Amino acid sequence: MAKVFIYPATSLILSDLVARFGHQPLGSAISIREHIQTSGFDSPPIQMTSEDPQKGLKWAAVEVPSGIRGRLSLYGPLVEEAEAAIIIDEPDLAFGCMGCERTNELLCFMLREKDIPRLELNYPTSREEGVTFVAAIKEFLVDLGGEYE
Amino acid sequence: MKPYDPQYVNTVTKYVFVDSPDTTPQDIAIAAYEIAKGVMIKETCFGCQITGSPEDVDRIIAPLRKLDPYRIYVKDRGFPPGDARRCRANSGGARPGYLGHEYEMALVRYIAYGLEQTDHMTPEELKAAAGQEKLMQSAFDVAVLEHLIEEE
Amino acid sequence: MSELPVNIAQITCGAEYSGIQNEIAMAAETVGGQMFYPDVALKDVKRAYKDFGLLVKSPDLKLAIARAHAVVEGRIEADGIFIASCFRCAEAAIVRTELRRYIVENSRIPVVSYSFNERTGSSTLLTRLEALTTIARRRNLMARRVQVGITMGVDSGSSTTKCIIMQDNEIIGTGWRPTTEVIKSTDEVVALALEESGLKLSDIEAIGTTGYGRFLIGKHMNADLVQEELTVNSKGAVYLANAQKGFATVIDIGGMDNKAISVNDGIPSSFTMGGICAGASGRFLEMTAKRLDVDITELGALSMKSEGGEDVPMNSYCIVFGTQSLVNALAAGYKREDVAAAACHSVAQQVYEQQLQEVEIKEPVIMVGGSSLIQGLVRAMGRMLNTEVVVPHHSQYIGATGGALLGSGFIDKKKEE
Repeated sequence: MAKVFIYPATSLILSDLVARFGHQPLGSAISIREHIQTSGFDSPPIQMTSEDPQKGLKWAAVEVPSGIRGRLSLYGPLVEEAEAAIIIDEPDLAFGCMGCERTNELLCFMLREKDIPRLELNYPTSREEGVTFVAAIKEFLVDLGGEYE
Repeated sequence: MKPYDPQYVNTVTKYVFVDSPDTTPQDIAIAAYEIAKGVMIKETCFGCQITGSPEDVDRIIAPLRKLDPYRIYVKDRGFPPGDARRCRANSGGARPGYLGHEYEMALVRYIAYGLEQTDHMTPEELKAAAGQEKLMQSAFDVAVLEHLIEEE
Repeated sequence: MSELPVNIAQITCGAEYSGIQNEIAMAAETVGGQMFYPDVALKDVKRAYKDFGLLVKSPDLKLAIARAHAVVEGRIEADGIFIASCFRCAEAAIVRTELRRYIVENSRIPVVSYSFNERTGSSTLLTRLEALTTIARRRNLMARRVQVGITMGVDSGSSTTKCIIMQDNEIIGTGWRPTTEVIKSTDEVVALALEESGLKLSDIEAIGTTGYGRFLIGKHMNADLVQEELTVNSKGAVYLANAQKGFATVIDIGGMDNKAISVNDGIPSSFTMGGICAGASGRFLEMTAKRLDVDITELGALSMKSEGGEDVPMNSYCIVFGTQSLVNALAAGYKREDVAAAACHSVAQQVYEQQLQEVEIKEPVIMVGGSSLIQGLVRAMGRMLNTEVVVPHHSQYIGATGGALLGSGFIDKKKEE
C-alpha cells in the first residue's frame, strides 16, 4: 500500500479512487485531523495558530503571505511522506485548504520536483472521459502494487 | 488563550457519499446503523459520516460500498461530525469544503460510468483505455527542469 | 451585552490558515459584534465571479467575490463588512480593493479593509471592528451635526492628550499635553480646558472619551461616551471642516498609527488604520525634529522654506533607516529645511502607498491630528493627491472635539433619567 498525495488535496473523487484501489490517500483531511486531535491552545475553527505559518517557513520564505505558509505547514509534511501523487490540473473550484492558487502552484511544483510516480490528468467532462479518467488512475494505482476488492 | 482539550482523539471520520438512482442517502445511513455496533453514524443529506477507530470505520465502509459499488464514494474528514466549529448554523455559511464537494458531486456520474466500464477490463484493455491520459505524465518534464536548475 | 450582536460579514482569504481566525472572532465579540460567513452555493460563486468580471485564480477569492455580491445584493443581511486578506498577496490585494469599492458604491453597509499576517492579534483588530460596530449600531448618534449644552471631549492619544470643552456649538476651552501617565495627563488637560473656559467640572453636562486610553480615562471621568478614534475623529473632522454633508476623506497621521477614512454624510463608509512601520508615522517627524534640533512645532515652518525636499535620497520604509538617510543627507550637504521637507514627503508618500489605497479618496481631503500642523506634511500630501488639503481650525483637537460633539447626544438621555 502506497501513500498517494492527492491534488486537489480535498478531492472526494481522488480520495475515493485511491482508497478503492488499495492505497492510502494523503490529503487535507489528514493534516486537519491532526490539528483537531492535538491539544494546545484553543484556536477555532481548524486549530491553526500563528505557529503554523511559522512552520511553513520550511517551504516558503518569510515574504510569502502567511496564508500560504500556513497551508504549506499542512501539506509540506504530507508531500515529504508521499510515495506517489495524482494531480488534477486546473481544479478551479476547490475551496478552503485548496483555496489559494499560489499555494497550489507551489504544492504542485513540490510534487513534480519529488522523484515519485506521478499521474496528471483533468477532471472528466463526459462519460467517455470518465472511462479514461478512471482507467488512467486505476492503472497507475495497480502499477503501484495496490490490492483492491 | 484558552487551553484546547480535543475530543475523539485517535478516531477517524469518513464521509460516505452516494449519488445513485437506486440507493438513497437514507439507505446508506440505515445500512450503516445496522452494523454500527456503537460506532458513531451521522446521517446527512448526501449519505452519512462515520466516526470511530480506523478499523471500525473500515469494517462498516466495506459492506456499504457493496450496496452500490460504482456510486458510493468515501473520503476522510478532519472534523468529527456536527462539530460546532464547522457547523453552518454557527458560522452563517457553509464550510468552504462543502462547495468543493458540490463541484465534484456534479462530476461523479462520469466516475460511476468509468468505474463500471473499467471494472472487468483486462490489464491490456485498461492500458488502452487509459492511454490518452497517461500522456499527460510527461507534460512537465522534471528531468529537463532539473538539468536547467543545475546549469544555473 | 444586552443589545443584539452586530452581524459582520466576513469576506476574507487566508485568515484560518494564518492562524488568526479566532483573533478576528474574539475581537468582534469584544465589541458586540459577531462574524459570519455569507452563505453561498456553488452556483452563486460561478455567477458572481462571472458578473463581477475580475479574473482571479484563487478559488477563495472567487468565494470572496460571491460573498460580497450576496451581501450587496441584499440576499444576505449584514450590518457591517470586514474584508481582509494576507499581507503581501498581490492577487488578494487587487480583489480586496475592488470589492471594497464595489461595496461602498453599491450599498450603505460600512466596510473595513485590512491585510493581516500571522502576528495580527485581536487587539490590533479591536479598534477597527469597534468602529465598524459603532457605525452599524449607532447611526443615530453619528448623525449628530450640532453640539448642544456644555460638553467635554478628551482624547487620550499615544503621543498627546487633548481636551475640548464646547458650549452651544462653540469651542470655549482647550487643553493639550504630551501623554506621560494616562490619567495624570488627562487631569492636566482637563484642568487647562476648564481654566480657559472659566467653568468647573460640575458644569459639564456630558463627557466623551476617545484614543488609546479611552477605556481607562472613560472610567476615571465617568464618561457618557467611550468611543474608538476612527468614528470620533472622522466626526470631529467633518464638523470642524464644515463638510458634514456629502463625501469627504479624513487623514490622521498619528504618533503610532495612521487613519484614512472615507466619509459620506458624516458617517465613515470605509476606513483603514495602519501602523506597520513607524517610518510612516508622526513619530518619525518627531525624531526628525530632534535630529534637526528644532521643536516639533517648528518643523513645519522649517520645511516650508524648502521647495519640497523630493531630491533628498530617502530610504524611508523604516524609522531607523529613514533617520539614517536624513543624517546622511545632512552630511552630504543638504540644507536643514530640505531634510525637514524630505521627512514630510517621505511620511506622506508612505501614507499614500500604505493607507490611501484602502479607501476612496474624495474631496475635500481633510487632514487632522497634531501632524496636520506641520505645514510641510500637509503640502506634501496635497501634492501627492493633487488637491488642496483642508486643515480645519483646532485640527489637533479633532478627537476631543468629536467626543464633545457626540457627547452632547447624551445630555437629553441623562435628563430623562
